Amino acid sequence: MSEAKVKEKKEVAGTPEKTHFPPCRDACPVKTDIQNYVWLIGEGRNEDAFDIIRSVNPIASVCSLICHHPCEQQCRRCDVDKPVSIRHLKRFAIEQATEYRRSKRKAVPKTRGKSIGIIGSGPSGLTAANDLADLGYDVTIYEKGPDLGGMLSSAIPTYRLSREALREDIDDVLSKGVESVTNCNIGEDITMKELREKHDAVLVAVGLAESRSLPIPGVDGPGVLLAIPFLFNAAYGKPTGIGKRVLVIGGGNVAVDVARTALRLGAENVEMVCLESEEEMPAWDWEVEEADEEGIKVHHRWGPKGVSRDGDTVKGLDVVKVTSVFDESGRFNPKFDENQKQLIEADTIIITIGQMSNYDFLKGSSVERDERGLLKWDRATQMSSESGVFVSGEVVTGPGSAIAAAASGHRSARAIHLFLEGKDVAAGLQDEEIARIEKLPPDVACKVKSVPRNETELLDPKTRCREFIQIEIGYDEMTALKEARRCRSCGGGALVDQDKCMACLTCLRICPYDAPVVTNASYISPDRCQACGLCAPECPARAIRMFGYDVDSIRNEMSAYIGKVDPSRKEPVVAAFMCSKYALDKSVSLPSNIRPIQVHCASRIDTLDVLKAFEAGADGVAVVMCDSEGCRHPGVSRIVARRLRHIQGLVQPLGIANEAVGHLKATEGQDWTEGLGGIAAGIPVRGK
Amino acid sequence: MKSGSNLEKVLASGNPAVTAELGPPMSASPEEVVHKAKLLKGFCDAANITDCQTAVVRISSIAAAKIALDQGLEPVMQMTCRDRNRIAMQADILGAAALGLKNCLCIAGDHQSFSAAGRLKGHPGAKNVYDVDSIQLAGILKKMRDEGLQEGGDPLEVAPQLFIGSAWTPGGDPIDYRPYRLKKKVDAGSDFIQTQGIYDVEMFRRQMKKAVELGVTERTAILGGIIVPRSAMMLKYMNNSVAGVSVPREMIERMAKAKEAAGDDKKKARELQEAEGLKITVELIKQVLDIPGVKGVHIQAIEWESAIEGIVKDAGLYPRPQV
Amino acid sequence: MIVGSQKPLDEIWGMVKDSKNVLVFGCNTCVAICHAGGEKEAESIASLLRTKAGQEGVDMKVESMGIQRHCEPEYFEPVMDRVRGYDMVLSTACGVGVNFLAERIGKVQVCPGINTSFYGAVESPGVFKELCAGCGDCILHMTGGICPVARCSKTLMNGPCGGTDNGKCEIGKEVDCAWYLIVERMKTLGTLDQLAEVRPPRDWSPGTAGGPRRLTIEHLMDMEESEE
Repeated sequence: MSEAKVKEKKEVAGTPEKTHFPPCRDACPVKTDIQNYVWLIGEGRNEDAFDIIRSVNPIASVCSLICHHPCEQQCRRCDVDKPVSIRHLKRFAIEQATEYRRSKRKAVPKTRGKSIGIIGSGPSGLTAANDLADLGYDVTIYEKGPDLGGMLSSAIPTYRLSREALREDIDDVLSKGVESVTNCNIGEDITMKELREKHDAVLVAVGLAESRSLPIPGVDGPGVLLAIPFLFNAAYGKPTGIGKRVLVIGGGNVAVDVARTALRLGAENVEMVCLESEEEMPAWDWEVEEADEEGIKVHHRWGPKGVSRDGDTVKGLDVVKVTSVFDESGRFNPKFDENQKQLIEADTIIITIGQMSNYDFLKGSSVERDERGLLKWDRATQMSSESGVFVSGEVVTGPGSAIAAAASGHRSARAIHLFLEGKDVAAGLQDEEIARIEKLPPDVACKVKSVPRNETELLDPKTRCREFIQIEIGYDEMTALKEARRCRSCGGGALVDQDKCMACLTCLRICPYDAPVVTNASYISPDRCQACGLCAPECPARAIRMFGYDVDSIRNEMSAYIGKVDPSRKEPVVAAFMCSKYALDKSVSLPSNIRPIQVHCASRIDTLDVLKAFEAGADGVAVVMCDSEGCRHPGVSRIVARRLRHIQGLVQPLGIANEAVGHLKATEGQDWTEGLGGIAAGIPVRGK
Repeated sequence: MKSGSNLEKVLASGNPAVTAELGPPMSASPEEVVHKAKLLKGFCDAANITDCQTAVVRISSIAAAKIALDQGLEPVMQMTCRDRNRIAMQADILGAAALGLKNCLCIAGDHQSFSAAGRLKGHPGAKNVYDVDSIQLAGILKKMRDEGLQEGGDPLEVAPQLFIGSAWTPGGDPIDYRPYRLKKKVDAGSDFIQTQGIYDVEMFRRQMKKAVELGVTERTAILGGIIVPRSAMMLKYMNNSVAGVSVPREMIERMAKAKEAAGDDKKKARELQEAEGLKITVELIKQVLDIPGVKGVHIQAIEWESAIEGIVKDAGLYPRPQV
Repeated sequence: MIVGSQKPLDEIWGMVKDSKNVLVFGCNTCVAICHAGGEKEAESIASLLRTKAGQEGVDMKVESMGIQRHCEPEYFEPVMDRVRGYDMVLSTACGVGVNFLAERIGKVQVCPGINTSFYGAVESPGVFKELCAGCGDCILHMTGGICPVARCSKTLMNGPCGGTDNGKCEIGKEVDCAWYLIVERMKTLGTLDQLAEVRPPRDWSPGTAGGPRRLTIEHLMDMEESEE
């Protein structure tokens, strides 16, 4: 008999690989699966959320406090109301998972027989160390400063990033068996040549750890400080040399950090001066706002001319008016009006106009610089001009965010691994193109209920600016759950198996968002799908899976949900399907005969889930769902009620009464437990 | 003469024809057929012998028609399309003609699910035939009679001489199509037409006008159907539930008044309504016969064959012409 | 499509109750579209049967699976070994599928999980109506596209009969009178005069009255070379 010519369709189980990145994930330099972890937070699964975050981000705690969240800026809720508060949710989940993350720390066996030396323990160096350790390499980090973390430990003030948070990230990496040497200056304590001999590859991840200065008159002498050394001294409790009236030159984030640090060190008055107008100022809006709350004034559109001194004492800064900062082609090309000038009084001036690197450590190596003043590199291979010496982070990319540096660290780790395996690095580093989900179509956006963003509180500006304690108060549990539910799960929606689908149009008819496009099979448009979950249980061919969850999971685990059914029971065993909104309500404790089954939305309750509950011995099933006012998706409560009526008809021949398949549409503010109790009370014990 | 039946002769004489109806019993005994035939004999030119009307098993029309014929009453046998295919039909027609039957009414027949409007069990699960429709059946009869040929083309040794009839529901919907369908029946070969019961005389008048315009009334003899009402309830039922029959409100009210006049006396109420019903019947007969193109009446006194004598006499249609 | 609906659970139970190892075998084409016998329904029936078996104290294993179609042999091939491993197969395909499976399954009983009813279309979501009788000799060009074979309770060729009531058939108010629809449509099309001609008695032999039918398409036959 010849071999079967038609292939039997492969049974696909679990959750499929995502095919599209929503804008949030696409905007993240390390492509964090934000939809996934926010979903998990909304389900009360913070440890699972942590795993998702940490799987791509070794500086997770750091980012949860200081990342500039490009994801939020791209959040598709921006077309409805405010973006999901992703960073705060991330912080919440990570903090909740602290014990869990510590318990997971474990040394990774060094199986490769090769070692790598990493210069610099900032975001890119730590990330590369993390990845290479996971691959089984022997990794040693060389850090110039007294502590690991690079700029994270010395230049980011602790009112934004606490030492404890940074420590958790560092411990995650070190616990894998990564070696580190601090207070180590390459070129003095060990040379590049020695590193090359000791290790099979070297990664230069030194960042831009030095401040640029201004070539203006009066800049030399006491009272004029550079940003990085100032922040370093502040971080380590060393004398900084500031006076009472501090003026910070610069309009970037570091300048704001410097100003707010000065305030906390006791300066009476702190002001900033920058070339840019309020709109042009490069610092993040929220940073500027917080600084403003703390009483820091900014002089916009003034350019430094010279430091005015009286003998050695700084009197202030001579400035001239800036007429424009950028030219027609958008390049930085400031123009001044010399006729408008003033003296801004100050006794201390801190210059925060940008960073660069010191390259003394490269003595004796053939690692070169390029015309930008950064290290010369081949972007396609992450390699410097010296073979076997790799580069990552700001020292090659120029100034950037911590998370962008981490992405660079990932890439360089992959490059080093390919190199050590003798493989083609450039070919191996090619990134796959992933399709991107576009903006929310207007006819879908208008169906998304507007729900106000849950903001976090900050400490009182009047008191917080005098201390170095973290100013941001994180979410409590209920708030985090509420905020997580604002996420529309872009990219986490439905996927149709084109082989099984026979275009019956059921999904098209039931979808509240008109997401399915049907030709000879149904294709559910990721731009439109809101992952409500209504379609998968309705598909007669079982052709629909969800990117966000395993549609079979509940029925496969039904026996565990139902548990033991005592044959001599007086109370009915009730399988209670509940939206997570109710299932996670800690104020409620249900009687033991009610066996809760948490669902993200009642929409996913499948006929087979209910039938399996009966198979597993339940006497009845109750569904607690939001009413149409409260539900995230239109039509769910009506459709689910209809589905339950159909199920009543199916189980009737088994002698199961209609009362044994009950539901309640909970209204905001109503005591739903009473309704649930009422349903349960009306369910007869089977066989009696 | 196509068949030489009494009905054909009366119609040919120009006299208004009167046909009545005899419903056979659910019985293997001929007794009731004999009894009813005796009641109708002499008061009509021919009597329809219904064929499993409302899809209920009764003595077959051909058998009951023969019994009636033996009593001296000319029958109009009926053949529904529901229960027989064209082979059985043609065989039965040859048999009917051989037994001396001369008139045949071709009707589609109520669907087997009807079972006397649900009052009897009937045989709703029976497989219906409907091999041919009533119009095609008329055509088959015509071909047998006029060409001596079976429907399939085989010859007949002796052709049956039958007067072919069809039914017409002038008030059925779509109402504007009904005169055209009547024409089809006549084109197919119908020599005479018996209509569904008429209470709305104006509607019938309008439809007859169209029939005249279509030239139908010259080619076929239309007998207006008159169903004898026995009670207000019966009139209401027919108005609401019998397709193609509409009863004017005034008529129902008239019957209702008759009932009210009896007060609580049930026996009296029945008597008064029946008396009113007979009056109405006679009025309808006179109005219908007055309409141009109408060649007679077909009076249906359902399970009340005994009333025919009085009706025919009161309508001035007694004695029946001897032709 | 072919439209059918699930048999009552009690009737199905009656068919399978003496079996030990039952497969509920779904079809993902027509019967899935009318939500009668697709993979999803097959799973549901299997679950209900397991529960019923538990209630009755009957030791029975019930599993389910589905394939794309039960009317083409290639779809059966990859799974037949597995299917033969059961002692009863409850097919939720249409009658065609039940027959077709029974022909090739060998010594395993096959019974029907659904009642196959008609060829129909979706009037509106959840509402299916019969529109074709598969009579083998289509005359829809003569009736404005409305079928008197499938949709007239008396299969009249020269309808309507006297039973039309407000456009509905005498058998019930939910059934349209097909001839009413035909007349109205042909009025709209301006072709009503085509109905004046008396249609002669119909040749029913191309339909089921003529016996079970078979269609052969020469140029599709013997497509693959036999390896035997």
